[in-house]
Amino acid sequence: MMTFDQNAFLIIFTASLIAISCGLLGVFMMLRKMAMTGDAISHAVLPGIVIGFLVSGTQRGLEVIVGAGILGILATLMIDWLRKKARVQLDASIGITFTLLFAIGIILISAFAYRVDLDQECVLYGEIAYLPIDLWITDAGKSLGPRIMWLAILNLILVLSFITLFYKELKLTSFDEKFGVVIGIPASAINLGLMSMVSYTTVSSFEAVGAILVVALLVVPPATAFLWTRQLRQLIQLTLIIGIAVSLLGYYLAYLLDSSIAGMMVTVAGIIFFVSVGLTRYRSKIKFGTQNEAKAFSS
Amino acid sequence: MEDFLYFFSFQDASIAFVVLGITLLGIGSAFVGTFSFLDNKALLGDAISHAILPGICLGFMLAGEKNPFFIVGGAIASGGLATYLTSWLKDNTKLSEDSIIAVVLSVFFGIGIVFLTIIQKSGNPEMAGLNQFIFGNAIGIVERDLWIYGGLSIGIIGVLVFMLKEFQILVFNPDFGKALGLPMHHIRLVFNILIILAVVIGIQAIGVVLMAALLITPGAAARFWTDRLKTLLILAAVFAIISGIFGTYISYTLPQMPTGPWVVVILSFIALLSFLFAPKKGILFRFYHRKKYIDKTQRDHVLKSIYKAEELGKPALSLEELTHIYPHQKQAIKNSIKELEKEGQLFINQNLIKLTKPGKMEAKRIVRLHRLWELYLNEYMNIAPDHVHESAEKLEHLLTPELEALLETRLNFPRLDPHQETIPRDHDDI
Amino acid sequence: MIKQVTQPILEIHDLTVSYDQSPVLWNVDFSLPAGKLIGILGPNGAGKSTLIKAIMGLIEPNSGYVKIFDQDLDKVRNKISYVPQRESVDWNFPASVLDVVLMGTYGKLGLFKRPGKKERELALSCLEKVGMTAYVHRQISELSGGQQQRVFIARALAQEADLYLMDEPFAGVDMNTETAIFNLLQEMSQSGKTVIVVHHDIYSAVNYFDWFIMLNLHLVASGPKNEVVTEELLRKTYGGKLNLLSKVSELIRQKEFNPLKD
Repeated sequence: MMTFDQNAFLIIFTASLIAISCGLLGVFMMLRKMAMTGDAISHAVLPGIVIGFLVSGTQRGLEVIVGAGILGILATLMIDWLRKKARVQLDASIGITFTLLFAIGIILISAFAYRVDLDQECVLYGEIAYLPIDLWITDAGKSLGPRIMWLAILNLILVLSFITLFYKELKLTSFDEKFGVVIGIPASAINLGLMSMVSYTTVSSFEAVGAILVVALLVVPPATAFLWTRQLRQLIQLTLIIGIAVSLLGYYLAYLLDSSIAGMMVTVAGIIFFVSVGLTRYRSKIKFGTQNEAKAFSS
Repeated sequence: MEDFLYFFSFQDASIAFVVLGITLLGIGSAFVGTFSFLDNKALLGDAISHAILPGICLGFMLAGEKNPFFIVGGAIASGGLATYLTSWLKDNTKLSEDSIIAVVLSVFFGIGIVFLTIIQKSGNPEMAGLNQFIFGNAIGIVERDLWIYGGLSIGIIGVLVFMLKEFQILVFNPDFGKALGLPMHHIRLVFNILIILAVVIGIQAIGVVLMAALLITPGAAARFWTDRLKTLLILAAVFAIISGIFGTYISYTLPQMPTGPWVVVILSFIALLSFLFAPKKGILFRFYHRKKYIDKTQRDHVLKSIYKAEELGKPALSLEELTHIYPHQKQAIKNSIKELEKEGQLFINQNLIKLTKPGKMEAKRIVRLHRLWELYLNEYMNIAPDHVHESAEKLEHLLTPELEALLETRLNFPRLDPHQETIPRDHDDI
Repeated sequence: MIKQVTQPILEIHDLTVSYDQSPVLWNVDFSLPAGKLIGILGPNGAGKSTLIKAIMGLIEPNSGYVKIFDQDLDKVRNKISYVPQRESVDWNFPASVLDVVLMGTYGKLGLFKRPGKKERELALSCLEKVGMTAYVHRQISELSGGQQQRVFIARALAQEADLYLMDEPFAGVDMNTETAIFNLLQEMSQSGKTVIVVHHDIYSAVNYFDWFIMLNLHLVASGPKNEVVTEELLRKTYGGKLNLLSKVSELIRQKEFNPLKD
């Protein structure tokens, strides 16, 4: 029983780390109205992962992360190219880009199935349940704990430093990009940086929750928090709390129903989202009455 | 090769069924997708296709097998719910549309994954059949499926053709439709149902994750070839059918390959060809036209320079003198001279370049346009004489005879430009 | 009537700008004196906002150049301030009034540095100038149109610039706000700042500005009020577009590429 608890803790802890990284980036993606670009990136990194895998021969290689990072940036560039040079509207550009890159990824997986220890299911919903047995073992034979947990910790540190360092710039360019350009802030570099962080986070979390479900952690907690607050700081805090709650509840529900942990995390996120929609609507209905009175009074 | 012949001769009835099914569903999805592409709702189809997964799983759980009626029923239910939620959230929250689509898409897909893993662990042997909804397996289409999916496709195509005008208004100008008294709300509802149905049948071949491509890419590619709606629809359908059949063929020859990704790759390839090579809108075509235009401006400059020399009493220019005027474009000027000589606009005599009669006419036209535009800028746009030259350098190559006539009447057939130079006409001499 | 000035604060040289390949500004060429309250007038679609955006480097011109304080834009960004159109941002963004005004100080802060006490005090004093002290901690989603406009102007003030470019600051605001903003602009120009304002209402403009730029796809006039506010120039500005110019624009729009681009 003791060991089980420790496993549960490791899984929940890692899932929370991933949810926090995704949520932090997701807040800014949402505010930039780029949620679907985030979705596109999370699909598009797949061929990069597979190629990195083929080059390095292992999914632990740095090549995998580099490959995915390159593909993530390639996806944003391709969306841009389609929009500006081929003059395709933005949403269609996103759709064309991510389906093509994802399709190539799946073909590569199928073609090199004998060499790549990745299957279509891992792409879909990850293997966080196996996390406690996939240990990081040093050359001296000492076990340092789950490998994916360390990846998630490193990822969170990098995401946190990116956001703390560029908080001011991210905030400004998300609100009013043109004003940012005018006052001399390198807006496109900031944007590219954010996209790179999203790609990197997708890869780093991909083994745990799958490429497609990453996007749920990227999008749903920020959207839920946005229903409750109009303060950036609170929005971020609430996103993080939701991310942790999702990991905790998702794990135990998956355990109860014997199903995918990642899938259940998303389901819980969805439930929290829709409950929030209901509650905030109820709240605004009450508030709306008093606001109307105030308006009538002032005019 | 043998495989190829066997496949495309359709000797095998089951292959014939599959191809027929793919053709029908390709037409259906491409038609619906083209409309939603024109409606700027390309990603709604993506959300719906992901959102269908839980419905398919529920249908499977209820039926206990891969029964098309249950699966289609479940898919329509969850697709419908997702569509409804998307528009409800848009009206009732302050979330932006892309966030809403991303939320609906990922939450429904997550729930679908939960169902899928539950079914998987139940040990039902039919489970394998369910997995192919994710990445598509057209080869799996059997006769019974064909009846229902083919029937649905024909239904979609029928409704779209029957209500073409209404959907056209919906996409291009819904307010106008409202003003005409058309029930736009109901038309949108019908259209949303068609999207859901198109997705339900489309995922047979391509799977839920990549279904968006079958909706978006054919229309986006076809848009490069035509501006007419009917041609657009037909082309989109052709693209979808071609990629559908080839995708099926590949997964027929390589059984470990799912169909969907190949359909998408072939579709994207067709789209890339369209972006590059389509006449008028294609990138290469635009590039080629620009190049041709720049060549023409260079020829114009040569003619103009010789004419101006003539104005100053120098009837011919040497190559050195000409390239001296355009020191950065030596090679281009040489090419232009060759070209103009071939066209009979100038002739070269002992290294001196001189205009022929038609060459002089053309040179006069260019100089005339240049000076007319300068005068127009000066008189109508208050631009100082020392600022008008650069603009005229560009417009002299562009102005059409109609605009020339308009300029002449506006300026009342002027004799001099703002620099007091004569505006040459066809019949006067230098 | 285009009056050029010596030692201009802003010099526009032969600027031609296209939007979606359709030229919307033709050969605009003028210079502006410092310390004036300048109005850009013109009918809808005359290219007023395009001119501001081209000055601020947000649109690449097809030809021509802009000099500010006799320098390139990149060298003087710290001395110019910009108020975009109110509708250009999503006011549901999670930020308070103070947050938005503080953004005006980011340019001078540079990368990595956070706004501190000094910036806060500056922002508060700017909010005071626009009469928004009572709303410092209000979320911007809860503001009225006029209040949003005041916040944008406060943000521009916080840039502490010498030249201000404002895109339609009077659009959709109440009378009170309009007067308050106008008084503020007047104060600014009296203290030596140059303020350029895009404005659509010709009747109020006459009372507001002392120098006018009149646009209608091309520059109709640029000069001091008493010289350019004439019936003839106003008719040229508002009396419909030049037929020939529109035809040429249409011709260029239908090309496969923009022939005006170098």
